[in-house]
Amino acid sequence: MNGLHKVAMIDDKNAAYFFVAPALVGLILFIAVPFVLAVLLSVTNLHLGSPLPLEFVGLDQYRAAFADPEFQHALSNNFLFVVFVVPVQTALALFLALLVNSKIRGSVLYRIIFFMPVVFPMSLLAVVWILIYAPGPQGIMNSFLQFVSLGLWQPRDFLHDPQFALPAIMLMSIWQGTGFQMVIILAGLQSIPGQLYEAAALDRAGNWSQFWHVTLPQLRATLIFVVLLTTILAFRLFDQVQIMTHGGPNNATTTVMFEAVRTVFERQQVARGAAITVIFFVIVLVITLLQRRTMRNSGGAMR
Amino acid sequence: MATVAFNHVTKAYTPGTNAVEDFTLAVEEGERIVLVGPSGCGKSTLLRMLAGLETVSGGEILIGGRVVNNLTPQQRNIAMVFQNYALYPHKTVRDNIAFPLRMLNVMKTERDERVLKTAQLLSLETVLEMKPGQLSGGQRQRVAMARAIVRDPDVFLMDEPLSNLDAKLRVKIRSEIARLQRRLGTTMLYVTHDQAEAMSLGHRVVIMREGRIQQVAEPQILYQRPANAFVADFIGNPGMNLFQSRLLGVDDGKCLLGFGDRQLSAPYPDDVRGERLETLLHQELLIGIRPEALVPRDEQGSTLIGRFEIDEAEPQGHEMLVYFSVPATVVHGNIDNLPAAQRMVARWPLTSTAKAGDRLDLAIKDGAIRLFDQNGNAL
Amino acid sequence: MIHKLIRPVTYCVLLLVALLIVSPILFMVVGSFKPDALVFAEAGTWKAFFPETWTFQNYSDVFARVDFARFMLNSLLITGTVVGGGLVVNAFAAYALARLRWRGRETVLGAVMVLLIIPFEAIAVPLFFGASSLGWRDTFSVQIIPFIANPFSIYLFYTYFLGIPEELEEAARVDGAGLLRIFIEIIIPNARPAFASVAILTFLVQWGFFLWPLLVTTDEMVRPLPVAIAAFYTLPPLQWGDILAFAVMMVSPILLVFLIFQRWFIRSVASSAIKG
Repeated sequence: MNGLHKVAMIDDKNAAYFFVAPALVGLILFIAVPFVLAVLLSVTNLHLGSPLPLEFVGLDQYRAAFADPEFQHALSNNFLFVVFVVPVQTALALFLALLVNSKIRGSVLYRIIFFMPVVFPMSLLAVVWILIYAPGPQGIMNSFLQFVSLGLWQPRDFLHDPQFALPAIMLMSIWQGTGFQMVIILAGLQSIPGQLYEAAALDRAGNWSQFWHVTLPQLRATLIFVVLLTTILAFRLFDQVQIMTHGGPNNATTTVMFEAVRTVFERQQVARGAAITVIFFVIVLVITLLQRRTMRNSGGAMR
Repeated sequence: MATVAFNHVTKAYTPGTNAVEDFTLAVEEGERIVLVGPSGCGKSTLLRMLAGLETVSGGEILIGGRVVNNLTPQQRNIAMVFQNYALYPHKTVRDNIAFPLRMLNVMKTERDERVLKTAQLLSLETVLEMKPGQLSGGQRQRVAMARAIVRDPDVFLMDEPLSNLDAKLRVKIRSEIARLQRRLGTTMLYVTHDQAEAMSLGHRVVIMREGRIQQVAEPQILYQRPANAFVADFIGNPGMNLFQSRLLGVDDGKCLLGFGDRQLSAPYPDDVRGERLETLLHQELLIGIRPEALVPRDEQGSTLIGRFEIDEAEPQGHEMLVYFSVPATVVHGNIDNLPAAQRMVARWPLTSTAKAGDRLDLAIKDGAIRLFDQNGNAL
Repeated sequence: MIHKLIRPVTYCVLLLVALLIVSPILFMVVGSFKPDALVFAEAGTWKAFFPETWTFQNYSDVFARVDFARFMLNSLLITGTVVGGGLVVNAFAAYALARLRWRGRETVLGAVMVLLIIPFEAIAVPLFFGASSLGWRDTFSVQIIPFIANPFSIYLFYTYFLGIPEELEEAARVDGAGLLRIFIEIIIPNARPAFASVAILTFLVQWGFFLWPLLVTTDEMVRPLPVAIAAFYTLPPLQWGDILAFAVMMVSPILLVFLIFQRWFIRSVASSAIKG
């Protein structure tokens, strides 16, 4: 992007305001104001239907949230999710991208197939995967696992089993998200100049060496981006939890956003819910800033 | 067609640095003015201010006697050919040419007629339905011209329209541009960095440097009587030879000049008054000698200046450039801030037998010497 | 020797992974054509993919049990309006930011960059609270209007517009074109990839949008597909064939668009990531 602006148009100064007004109004009314409102609400005691008067309570909501075992469970679930899903999905996506990028026939077809799950609405997938995770030997996941484990697998009721509920959701998310990451990594791979590989080959570097010394460094920015984007998405987890497990069993699958919605919607505790979303935002902000900082250190954007 | 006038026009991008400084020029109806100078001299900025694409920091610009400073480009009746042609890539050639007419709300039948006529004028009839991406560089350039011509504007503005073409095409098209302008009679302001192009195209040429006018004159005058050392060096290829010197004496139409460890005596230029020269006795000067003015000693109407050794002789196809070592300090018009090679160049016919190492007597044609004061201004 | 093996191994692995990825989708599609009873019963067998009996019963059941057409229309209406409105509103704003000179331009640009970071979930609660208080629930407009102005779309347009050579607009101005005409006749035709990208990405997000309509709608008349399918799942009797049929119909529009425009789709996703 060129940083040097030539002098832009000088006429129709007023037109600019007309051009930008609708978007500006929308952004202010529906993003900026709610955001400020979230922060404001979070320091009150707003509880719909409660007889108590509305008053300022400082950081009480935040304290209460962090003290609440359900919320703690939610946070840890999100972190578990990140710790497991992000590396696995990224590695898988990288692996697939490398394979698709090598000169094989039908790479377009593979790209389509791998990306297809991304196109599916999450609520739809949630419902369908409930069926896939059906308990008992008739459930397709159960019978599949029995097949590949040569009979060692015992059928489980995934979504009602505290041990397997979260992993079940993780698997489904990986199934859906890998294609998304793969496509981005693939674009990154394709932008690596071929000359670097040629030079490496001339320097007697074998395949593994080339991967380690050319591919990975060039891919660094893309990988950082993809890792952090997926991490943020991991904290936004909601749809699947709402539909498949409703946070259960016993909060085994509750997440930060699920808690926020439950708090507001089912318990009418608007202020508490707002506080939770602010906490969520702070987490996302930290991750985003982390990404920006790491990108800058690595020498900036891909191209 | 209309007149164009610049009155003390200034352009400052950042306070303190002026891209254009106190530019004043009056262009007559139907005149072809070329603005030329090294990159960054402000010529394009000036053109863009005339077009309304840049704001004017100070002074006034007038078209047809009307001050246009606050008019948008749409409101000025001008047409412009851009360096990269700026053709609308998604429109056909026909639609490109017709576009300005549509903006003027010309009726369709008249529009089609004018587009066709203009296309024929520039030999573009066969490509009317094609898009710019399918055309050659020369064709694209002609489409850009067609788009400018079709409207019959007050002024044509051309911003280095030929610089993206190869040399042969450039020479060919520039004479077509001159022919076209003569035929249409529209006032034209033309910007280029190529001095040869400027000299061949302009009725008058404006030489600019760092935002200021160096000289405005017809090409011949610029060549024979450059207003300062910069112009002397810039015009002509190779430019005028320039040397550091000192005025040692004035006597009877001739002046005695220091030339390194030697002296040379030659008639001083006839547009310099003897009395003026006498006031500069013993002061440092610059001597300017055009390459064509250096001749072998025996030519008529020349004054011997001494014996010099040939450093190099370069055949150029139609002539030969002969480089002589000189004892004097050679000066550049400071165009590219390169250190000047300590030699002077002469232009001789190919039949000459000069070769490196020869020592020859040289003479200057009478009246060919130019003198400049220490600041580089012509006397 | 290892070199010789790499190609066939690559093909095998890719094929295997492709099958794994595709099988849930296949399961869904095939299951939608099986009689209800068999869907669940045969789920664990190969008959899940190669049915012995086909039927359209599930599809007609869906229409009999719920007002599917209404849900589909709602989704089309909401998504279409958000995409269409977004293209207009965000493109205009981006152009003003990229090419026009006006007081506050830098501030607004900075604001857009900041708002870019805020994910929807962070403002869902106060937005819901606000909509509730104003009695704005259970309408189409509450599902559309808040999402038309979008910082990311603005950003995509903005970077693209910056890349269009300024000479084109200058030539148009000299030719006598006013600002609006320049925007419509010169800029838009030369920014097709940006429009495609924004349209695709917005469509992708809006078609599957679940959280918001879940919060603000209870009335079936304005309910979009993502909420409808979740509700349908909880609607007794639980007939999986019907649910799968619902799913197939629900995903068809976007799947179709994807398959037709897949190159654009993937390119949009990948390039928007690069910008991010």
